[in-house]
Amino acid sequence: MKKTVFAISLVALLAVAPAMAQVDLSNYVALGDSMTAGLASASMMDWYQDRSYPAVLALQAGVSDFEQPYISEPGIGPIFELVSLLQDGELRPVIAPVGLVPGLPTNAEYPGIYNNLGIPTATLYDMIFQTGDINNLLQGNFDTVFFDIVLRNGINTALEQAIGLQPTFMTIWIGSNDVLGAALAGTPIDGITMTPVEFFGGLYGNAVGALATNTTADIVLINVPYVTEIPFTTSVDPFVDIPDIGRWYLMADTGPLTDDDFVTLGGGALIAQGYGLPGGPPLPDNLNLFTGEPGVVLRAAEVDILNAQVDGYNAAIEATASAFGYPVFDVNAFFAGLSSGAYVPTYGGTTLSIQFLLGGIFSYDGIHPQHIGYALLADELIQFINAEYGSEIPRVDMAEVLFEGDWQSPGVSPTKAQQTIMSAEAFQRLYELFPPKLDQAPRIRRPGAIRPEYSGRDNRIKPATRP
Amino acid sequence: MIAKNRGRALLVAAMVLVAPALGWGSGFALFEVGGRSGGMAGVMTAVGDDLSTLFWNPAGMAFQTDDGIQLMFGVTLIQPEQDFVGMSPYPGTGYRASQVEQTFFPPHIFLGIPVNDRLELSFAFYTPFGLGTGWEDDFRGNYIAKKTDLMVFDLGVSMAYKISENFAFGIGVDYMVAQIELARDIGLINPYDQRLTSVAEASLKGDGINSAWAWNAGILWKMGSGFSFGASYRSEFTVNGGGKATFTQIPTGYADFDGLLNTFFPFDEKVPIEATISFPNFWNVGLAWQNEKWTVSGQYGVMGWSAYETLPIIFPENPEFSSVREENWDDAAQWRVGVEFRASQHWDLRVGYLEDETPQPAEGMSPLLADSDREAYMGGLSYHTDRFRFDIAYEQVNLLERSTDGLNEEGFEGTYEGKSPLLHMSITLKF
Repeated sequence: MKKTVFAISLVALLAVAPAMAQVDLSNYVALGDSMTAGLASASMMDWYQDRSYPAVLALQAGVSDFEQPYISEPGIGPIFELVSLLQDGELRPVIAPVGLVPGLPTNAEYPGIYNNLGIPTATLYDMIFQTGDINNLLQGNFDTVFFDIVLRNGINTALEQAIGLQPTFMTIWIGSNDVLGAALAGTPIDGITMTPVEFFGGLYGNAVGALATNTTADIVLINVPYVTEIPFTTSVDPFVDIPDIGRWYLMADTGPLTDDDFVTLGGGALIAQGYGLPGGPPLPDNLNLFTGEPGVVLRAAEVDILNAQVDGYNAAIEATASAFGYPVFDVNAFFAGLSSGAYVPTYGGTTLSIQFLLGGIFSYDGIHPQHIGYALLADELIQFINAEYGSEIPRVDMAEVLFEGDWQSPGVSPTKAQQTIMSAEAFQRLYELFPPKLDQAPRIRRPGAIRPEYSGRDNRIKPATRP
Repeated sequence: MIAKNRGRALLVAAMVLVAPALGWGSGFALFEVGGRSGGMAGVMTAVGDDLSTLFWNPAGMAFQTDDGIQLMFGVTLIQPEQDFVGMSPYPGTGYRASQVEQTFFPPHIFLGIPVNDRLELSFAFYTPFGLGTGWEDDFRGNYIAKKTDLMVFDLGVSMAYKISENFAFGIGVDYMVAQIELARDIGLINPYDQRLTSVAEASLKGDGINSAWAWNAGILWKMGSGFSFGASYRSEFTVNGGGKATFTQIPTGYADFDGLLNTFFPFDEKVPIEATISFPNFWNVGLAWQNEKWTVSGQYGVMGWSAYETLPIIFPENPEFSSVREENWDDAAQWRVGVEFRASQHWDLRVGYLEDETPQPAEGMSPLLADSDREAYMGGLSYHTDRFRFDIAYEQVNLLERSTDGLNEEGFEGTYEGKSPLLHMSITLKF
């Protein structure tokens, strides 16, 4: 009899063990910003949305109904493309948006909540408090276009909608836009162009706490990458080599640049117009708080400030993770490894890097990955999840990704433009997408950061009936 | 104006052009030196009674002085096959590929000349290392290797001296000549369509005579009651070689991308290269028992592949392409058993079996060389008269299934499995 009981117990244990080791992605919700939305080349567009890291993760996990707020080609805003690489025999790429007419939402009538709640431009504050109304967009108002497309009902925030969906699994990757605007404007000012660390930590803890209290999801937190190690900030040298003069360190309105300084991609078009060069006007170093004109220079000290800010955010994320027992996927280390060369993704003898245009990871905006980069990211995340939860989600087939080609393949003739590097128009479009949120500074300081009515399960929205 | 680190991706791609290209292994080591030894797993170290002992144990020649001048020549037909099943992330789960059909004919020629009844002088020509790999045209590993041909020829001279009726030693020197040729594609992400694209074919070819000296020695002791013991050693050697690398552009259809590549790669030039390759030592010990009808022999050997630690490839005129690749191979053991039955006055039969350990870490397995532990079965027969001998043997070598275990340094993950039929043939003439 004892033997029988023992055998039954053993069988039961064996039967239970694999189930405990698995993670359930059947109702996966991704919270985040443009990186989660799958934005590439300054555009949110269906082709890239289908290749966003949450979509790839869901696909690999066998989830067939991962819903996203699709936008038709050429996306919002119109996607960037590479117009040419060489001018006068020199590597001087031209990048410009494809046309002026943006794409349209194609999945706006989906009756439930989207699984991908990544909202381009969203800060942590936005994820918690910002709503969006599709009617706003239908009336031609693009001010909060991404919130309107993703959130739609004008009532619930991304955080609330995530809770409403009662997910089994979640990823949260938020915080990049709390500092990215400072990099794009070349001006890190705590509380003005960047969210203060203390405030970020408080918000983050509250947001994760709300999810922990109101859902039973397994949650992977994703920290914030340095915004100073992306092609947008590392691709333009702070000097030019001029015949008969030699190496000329570009002149900014705050003085000459040094080897330790960075010129953003936004500065490329200005340099082509003579800015920073002998006899030309100086490059604008910093954001003009009166006109809103961005700076295009990041001084070494500013880079340190930006990185320290990200370190502060990440410490807060770690602390929150420890408090709630959630794992943190260290995407900052992932990108830092790519940047330093400590990690060189190699596929069949071919290597990828973060080098702008030629590296294969980043898109034409120099900030967001393209489909190869997102697939790489998804593959890293899958390995992390498998290690963390003992699951066996298949890794991404990178051969399929590498040989697929981009959304235009096989080729659509690129339009011609005359601007150098990233055209002024392209940079302006990018800057409009990711401006430093100056108007948020007073807002984020208002007392009662978490709205009093938001203390428990949000019942204002019915969980979606999934088709 | 643009791009700190510009061209870094191109540089990395170019550097790995040759880095993985000169892998060696038990898969490259050849033991095919005779139709008779091939039929009994090469267990000649303690037997040493035909000319193939010049490879296995030079001391054996001292016991053949009564045979007069001997000439042995022959060839081994090798038809290697290897299949690959991929896994994600690259080249993808379920991807399958096979090597193209190839046949190789490594030859062997041995000449033994007795000086007196104790001393024998011998000359040898054979191929101790050699391999050819080639994959299908649409192979996804084409950025690592498309085709590789390798041959190392040994021109040896040795002497064997019989100290007593029961004990002899032999020593020899070897002049090693290496030839290698390989080809692969270079792939980059096309910045226009973000697709992995072949932008160039790179080939590497040794030129001139890339050579090195080595030596070998052995003892053979007839212990009595039919037993004999043999031991031999072949030294390691290092080839400091030169050659030429050629880059041939593959148009992408994007003129200025092609133009950019043209500023970086020395297309259609023969770019000099220098490489240093270390080959392993090889020692064997064997024990045999013989009577009028039977020979039974066992043998244990180790190839000292731990000498193969790095592979420096230098581009003297294009130092940006130079690289030093870590290999860190291990010594590899092998054991062999063989039996011969002298069925009649003119006919002999034999069988054998061997196991051969791979020296290659899983990290280094690639389409260029994916080695694994091997086992081989063989059987053969001989027809002989007083002055003539014909040996033939069939051998089946199985490269056991082996996975890269997600460790491959070139990002080509999957499982390799191979086999190779070998047909050994030799003719021996006695004058």
